[in-house]
Amino acid sequence: MNAIEITNLSKQYGKILAINHMDLVVPEGMIYGIVGSNGAGKSTLIKALVGSLRPTSGAARVLGLDPLNEKWELRKQIGYMPQSPALYDDLTARENILFFGKAQSINELGKRTDEILEFTELSARASDKVGTFSGGMKKRVSLCCAMVHNPKILFLDEPTAAIDPHLKILLWRLFRKLAQSGVTIFLSTHQMDEVLLCDKVTIMSNGEILATDTPQKLIGLGKSRLTLTVNGIEKSTTIGSTSQNLASELQKSGFDPKISSVAIQTESIEEIILSIMNQREEEIKR
Amino acid sequence: MNHTVIIAQRVLIQLKGDRRFLMLYFIAPVLIIYFLKLLIDTLPHFVPVVSIAMPICAFIVHFLSFILCAILLVQERTRGTLERMMIAGYSKTSIIGGYTLGYFGLATFQSLIAFSESIWLFHLNYSFGTILFMFIVIWLLSVVSVMLGIFISTFAKHEAHVLPFIPLIIFPSVFLTGLIIDSDKLPLWAELIGDCLPIHYAINILKEIMHVDYQVVNTLADFVILIGYIFGLLFLASFTLRETE
Ligand SMILES: Nc1ncnc2c1ncn2[C@@H]1O[C@H](COP(=O)(O)OP(=O)(O)O)[C@@H](O)[C@H]1O
Ligand SMILES: [Mg+2]
Repeated sequence: MNAIEITNLSKQYGKILAINHMDLVVPEGMIYGIVGSNGAGKSTLIKALVGSLRPTSGAARVLGLDPLNEKWELRKQIGYMPQSPALYDDLTARENILFFGKAQSINELGKRTDEILEFTELSARASDKVGTFSGGMKKRVSLCCAMVHNPKILFLDEPTAAIDPHLKILLWRLFRKLAQSGVTIFLSTHQMDEVLLCDKVTIMSNGEILATDTPQKLIGLGKSRLTLTVNGIEKSTTIGSTSQNLASELQKSGFDPKISSVAIQTESIEEIILSIMNQREEEIKR
Repeated sequence: MNHTVIIAQRVLIQLKGDRRFLMLYFIAPVLIIYFLKLLIDTLPHFVPVVSIAMPICAFIVHFLSFILCAILLVQERTRGTLERMMIAGYSKTSIIGGYTLGYFGLATFQSLIAFSESIWLFHLNYSFGTILFMFIVIWLLSVVSVMLGIFISTFAKHEAHVLPFIPLIIFPSVFLTGLIIDSDKLPLWAELIGDCLPIHYAINILKEIMHVDYQVVNTLADFVILIGYIFGLLFLASFTLRETE
């Protein structure tokens, strides 16, 4: 079964079409990333999937359930981490997690809470008020609240935005561990380098899907700039970015002993995604 | 039901951790009543102190419960915890129930303080039965206040949006409901506005209770209307507190 199936989904806010006739399928058990700049419609999409907003048209199914009509069944099986921390500043980290956990009947909630506090390296601060926490710590408490009831799917809205690189690595390690234990992770990000850490990504802009692929395939879309220095003269060519492309380009020159240096500059994932986005902008203009 | 208790508990823990709130909620009424005593002492003796002390207690409980409940709920919406509660699996009913129960507990404690202070400062001597009855009226009014707070909070996008409701509640409540001016002496339009406010009925009952020959039947209509407000506002609040955008 697919974790998520979206067919022809749209959401209109007044004049703004936040999601524009979208189709998407997310298989179970992977880390699926939605990449897009601010205002692309990422949060709107996630809200439609967790049942906190009513789509203007189209349908979504999460674990085969309708997010609005079968919400009680669905809420047992999904976890949601909103873009803002959405925590009670006057409650401790532990109290926050327990409160959201108590919404579902969980065996040994106290033990489970200790476990995930440990998992997110928050045990030492568990009894401190969340109001005294840094942004990164709040993000982790928020993650705990989303996963306390052992959900099958986790919806994480920009979980790594505005946190330091060290913590970002820690969080991604946690996501990978969760995915390995069978949890489907559906997350959004505006940081394009994070695409490489997902199993599959969808690039979104203005409520539309621009591309859906694995990170390896996306990297493959990039161009490389190959510069050979022959007899002291630099010669540059643009080639595809696969290793085969490079080999065939070098074969042309038979690897002449006169070539004294080879430099290759590949496009970064950011550049590749930006050029996909720009391409779409140009299309719209025309 | 279980969820209702959990939410009420959380509301109380949350407020316990908030010093400014505790000051406002428990210290402010004590000060207001004390200042009132000072004010009344300067007035000529024919002002019926006895008949306005308890209505003023009721007003303070009503006003503070309403404003603070509305602000707390607006805060939940702007911070996203309201959305999160619902997606975690709490129902709208248990959220309304939890807030009512939590504030009911607070209002009980608050009215107990305001009550004892007034009885002591103004040398009121009521029988135990009268005090119990007054307490029940203030309780009912505090539930109305919470319902009103929940209802109003659904119209506010920011905490600041609650502010305009402060004068909107204070002035008509103070001047048009019989709190300090007898509402029969007001022009008809003003009396009608006063009649729309729930505190009017609580004040009616409180004033009646003080009479020696008081019987519940005399104020049955007021009781019914007060309880009607609870259900009416509950009904409205459950419509306006939306789960989806
Ligand atoms: N409640 C709302 N009312 C009106 N417009 C909204 C609302 N929520 C989002 N939008 C608009 O929808 C678009 C997509 O927003 P959003 O989903 O938050 O984007 P992202 O999460 O990708 O930054 C934006 O243009 C935003 O202004
Ligand atoms: Mg967003």
